[in-house]
Amino acid sequence: MKKGLRLTVNGQPYELYIKPKTLLVEVLRDHLGLTGTKRGCDSSSCGACTVMLNGMAVRSCSVLALQANGGEVLTVEGLAKGNELNSLQKAFLDYGAFQCGFCTSGMLMSATALLNENPKPTKEQIKEGIDGNICRCTGYNSIIRAVTAVVKGEYKEAK
Amino acid sequence: MIRDFEYFAPKTLKEALTLLDKYQDEAKVIAGGQSLLILMRQGLVAPKYLIDIKGISELNYIKSDAKEGLKIGALTTHRTVEKSPMMRNGFSVLAEIERNVASIQTRNWGTVGGELCHGDPAEDPAPALITLNATLKMASLKGERTMAVEDFTLDYFETALKPGELLTEIQVPVVPPHTGTAYTKFTVIENDLPTVGAAVSIILGSGDDICQDVRVALSASAPIPMRAKQAEAVLRGKKITDALLKEAGEVASTEAEPLSDIYASEEYRRELIKVLVKRMGKEALARAKKA
Amino acid sequence: MSKYSVIGTRVHRVDGPEKVTGNAKYTFDLVLPGMLYGKVLRSPHPHAKILKIDTRKAKRLIGVKAVITGKDTLGRKQGIWRRFPELCDEEILCREKVRYIGDPVAAVAAIDEDTAEEALDLIEVEYEPLPAVFDPLEAIKEEAPQVHDGVELNINVTRHIEWGDVDEAFKKCDHIREDQYKLCSQAHVCMETHDAVVSYDYGGKMTVWTSTQSSYYIQRLMADMTGLREGDIRVIKPTTGGGFGSKFELDSAQFCAAILSMKLCKPVKIVLNREEEFTATKRRTPMYYFLKLGAKKDGTLLAKEVRVITEGGAYTAMGATALYLTGFFSSFPYKYPNYRFDGYRAYTNTATTSAMRGFGAPQSTFVGESQLDMMAEDLGIDPIEIRRKNGMTPNYEVPGQAYIQSCGLHQCLDKIDAHIKERGKLPPNHGIGVSAYGFMSGGIFNWFDTPYAFSAAIVRINIDGKVDLFTGACEIGQGSDTTLSMICAEELGVKLEDIRIHAADTGICPVDLGAWGSRTTLMNGNAVKMAAADAKRQLLEFAAAKMGPNIVYDFDIKDQWIHLADRPERGISYFDIVKEAIRGKDGETIIGRGHYTPHRKGMISPAYSFGVQAAEVAVDPETGRYKLVNVTTAHESGTVINPVGIEGQLEGAIMMAGGYGYCEDQPMDEGKILNPSIADYKLIRSLDMPETEILEIDTYEPEGPFGAKEAGEGLTNPTAGAIGNAVYKAVGVRINDLPITPEKVLRALKEKQKKSK
Repeated sequence: MKKGLRLTVNGQPYELYIKPKTLLVEVLRDHLGLTGTKRGCDSSSCGACTVMLNGMAVRSCSVLALQANGGEVLTVEGLAKGNELNSLQKAFLDYGAFQCGFCTSGMLMSATALLNENPKPTKEQIKEGIDGNICRCTGYNSIIRAVTAVVKGEYKEAK
Repeated sequence: MIRDFEYFAPKTLKEALTLLDKYQDEAKVIAGGQSLLILMRQGLVAPKYLIDIKGISELNYIKSDAKEGLKIGALTTHRTVEKSPMMRNGFSVLAEIERNVASIQTRNWGTVGGELCHGDPAEDPAPALITLNATLKMASLKGERTMAVEDFTLDYFETALKPGELLTEIQVPVVPPHTGTAYTKFTVIENDLPTVGAAVSIILGSGDDICQDVRVALSASAPIPMRAKQAEAVLRGKKITDALLKEAGEVASTEAEPLSDIYASEEYRRELIKVLVKRMGKEALARAKKA
Repeated sequence: MSKYSVIGTRVHRVDGPEKVTGNAKYTFDLVLPGMLYGKVLRSPHPHAKILKIDTRKAKRLIGVKAVITGKDTLGRKQGIWRRFPELCDEEILCREKVRYIGDPVAAVAAIDEDTAEEALDLIEVEYEPLPAVFDPLEAIKEEAPQVHDGVELNINVTRHIEWGDVDEAFKKCDHIREDQYKLCSQAHVCMETHDAVVSYDYGGKMTVWTSTQSSYYIQRLMADMTGLREGDIRVIKPTTGGGFGSKFELDSAQFCAAILSMKLCKPVKIVLNREEEFTATKRRTPMYYFLKLGAKKDGTLLAKEVRVITEGGAYTAMGATALYLTGFFSSFPYKYPNYRFDGYRAYTNTATTSAMRGFGAPQSTFVGESQLDMMAEDLGIDPIEIRRKNGMTPNYEVPGQAYIQSCGLHQCLDKIDAHIKERGKLPPNHGIGVSAYGFMSGGIFNWFDTPYAFSAAIVRINIDGKVDLFTGACEIGQGSDTTLSMICAEELGVKLEDIRIHAADTGICPVDLGAWGSRTTLMNGNAVKMAAADAKRQLLEFAAAKMGPNIVYDFDIKDQWIHLADRPERGISYFDIVKEAIRGKDGETIIGRGHYTPHRKGMISPAYSFGVQAAEVAVDPETGRYKLVNVTTAHESGTVINPVGIEGQLEGAIMMAGGYGYCEDQPMDEGKILNPSIADYKLIRSLDMPETEILEIDTYEPEGPFGAKEAGEGLTNPTAGAIGNAVYKAVGVRINDLPITPEKVLRALKEKQKKSK
């Protein structure tokens, strides 16, 4: 009944053998130990499980892992280069764009997807870009300031 | 807890239809699955076989043709429609709507066909598709058939799809000249499911402001995405004024059959229908004049 | 230039790098070798007798390792009001009776979550449903069903606060208003749900990893409930995904995991799902409020009378404190010469209501500030003016209750007044409403009956100058690890990166009561400062001996430089002195100790913060829908230790309190919460979030570390009231029951139109 799954996560190819009902988030967290991706709602509404699949932000709690078969996944663990944080991560630190941190991975992935698609978003577009992610701590505005700082080029990306 | 199931990921429509034909009621079709997986997690749906059609690339397209209009493959995502350069010449309303369907993550993964097949009366694209006179193409091993969008949903979460049948295409005919279409929804939180949604499409005569034809459709106002035909009758053949639009809103509000639930009372929904129909009528009129 | 090197500066959170890389480990992420997964079976009835529980089928399911019911416990009732046994009324695993939909009746441990969940379906519970009561006004009637045996009229607790002569004062008033309000519930919606991993070993020791606001409370309550000794239980709080008042009581995840683990001597993990989080954890207290307010023509407030009946739900929890504080804060932030509060908390067959950010004060602030605006309008006085006239001032005594030292309310009023004037004429259907508020910096309550100091800290200096700070304070996202590290660095005269904090692990940290009541910065901050000062003193003794200056000179440390306070150029490196001191003490590590318990500070809190908020709304009068356009806040919290932290607390509070005012609610049908998911429970998202502005006010609180006081929960108090007042300014309607939904606004507008016809 189990099925084979090939998946590239943060550049690393994996081959797994899973039950078809396994969700993408479960493969990431429970099979690969990438616990940076969180689960917050089980109703496809909080965004804490957001990852990038083939370049798009998706909710990994609402995608069967087999639906991602052959795909490329980027999770929060794939953002830093070695021990150097990327621009968004640095901006989140500088602008205090998180508190408890439980939504932060998903928030960073939504922001990453946004900037990949549109490197110069307006404030309204930034708000729209993170609207699918609930943060119960910050009130979002510090996150918007952090993303804005990256858009304005306040940070240099590590090579 | 999601119950175990056997999983198939057909690569062609033919394969999918063969599987559906084989397993009939014991199978469920999954596309984006963002609604289905919630139901499965709650144990409300527990299929023995799951047929994943998300990877059928022949159902993922948007085509535009001067004669036949717009054809959207059922597996096209909301996001693709939102971003498509083909959403112009009267179709731009579809892109506007898609932009406010839930969050980007949902739109990236969810398909337009999947949403229609979910049969939720509180959904976005259906009312606008109804006002644009859109039809749906369905396929089974026995062949194909088409049906107007307005006839597709039968009741809460129930559609006209028969066992063994798949929705394959959404067809939106060429929009006649001097047509304006507008949709809006009322939500308490931005980009939420509509508490009430209203779409109005108005066709004006050439060179005059007389309403040649009109379509009004509502979401979250009845067990199905409904067409408000009595409201249309108020406007059809007349020169549209603010007073007439107000009347159309009131009539639509009366013919609708909204429910009371945790989001809104029936009474409030009726008030919202009045206002939204009036406003969208006005917006559609302005667009028609410009078209 | 600031006299401080660390505090008041914009720093990275000390837990930041781990959080922005996804590397921080929450309880939710923990996996131990051999770990089992637990699930809890809950009552589907609001009120029922348990006749029989048959677990045999569940136990036979392959993969199930244990099934427990109330019979597997010591049968004790627990509660956080440990000084008052009659208020310790919750069994957690019910033996005879369930009192709300969600009350736990059994739990399972299995090899995986799916198996555990499948096993729940196999447990057969026979109930005898009992008549139930849901509304507190119904619950206090003679004929109402009894939620707890022997509790007359279902009245769980009553509270009375009074000073002056209220009845006499009302006779002297020129104008009296009487108003009624109904306040809704609110869910905490921590992004990390309640969860725990409990490992009980063959040696009889228990380790609990859990998402909590108080590792000490969990340790103590777990000891009470399991019969283990306090020291045999070690509670470790990993990174925690929010609390907001929901996580300082013993919960079903912790307790059931513990009992299961004790049966099996294997680690057991329980994570509540989102539906359980909404229906079977605690929530904000709904209240019925009856207010009577009397004033002179010139706006002087003479008397206030407050009656409150709160929906208690099934158990006491922290509800008694919410009741008392709503009564106390109903007098805030004004100088009422005559005041009376009578509060009643009624048991109902609904999910228990308890602490949530603001702890009764968001309720009292909404009703008080709404009524005060109406009083001002009745008297023809500007809303800011009436607040100025009656607002608290420094060194004010709330008769018999509290002594307020620092208070910047009037500066806040001035700033908000200027802000509103600056906005000038507003577009049609826009309105700005104001709301003034105050809050405490930690409670002076000891209903928990702790024999320990309220807060404590230990500072240990390593040979290379790195400092280990040990404290029981609980970082739940609010930033306490950073704030306390900053206090420690400042006092010790080192840099923030010299500090490594070890917090909220009962095995190694001194007791702290936890993160509630906005207590951490002041109470734990004082303890940390004292511990750092103690360590510093030890270093300075060596510095003095080594440098041998004139005895009249004092020493200080700043930026790792130990020097004469008046001659900063004469000094010696901190690192050198640390090495010498440790050698000089025969190798003994330098350890500083600090603790804090408030004394002689009244009944409530050692200090109070104040603020004024202005909210601007734009109303669509045809639908009632309104948008929060801007929320501007003048908040004074004494010396600002961590400015980035305060911004975050303030903006986050607006999201939460704006939701309380606008859309968050838990509608019920016969005790069943109807919207137990994040899809259905509406939360403010980024597109709904208003612009936020912070107006800084300078104050100094003598009781706080470096003059600091709270900046956490108080910020949740004003927003609902400011929204209500803004909607009134915009379109002229008052909504007296929260939340102020578009539907209610439209209904009120229609009624207003009808009346004016």
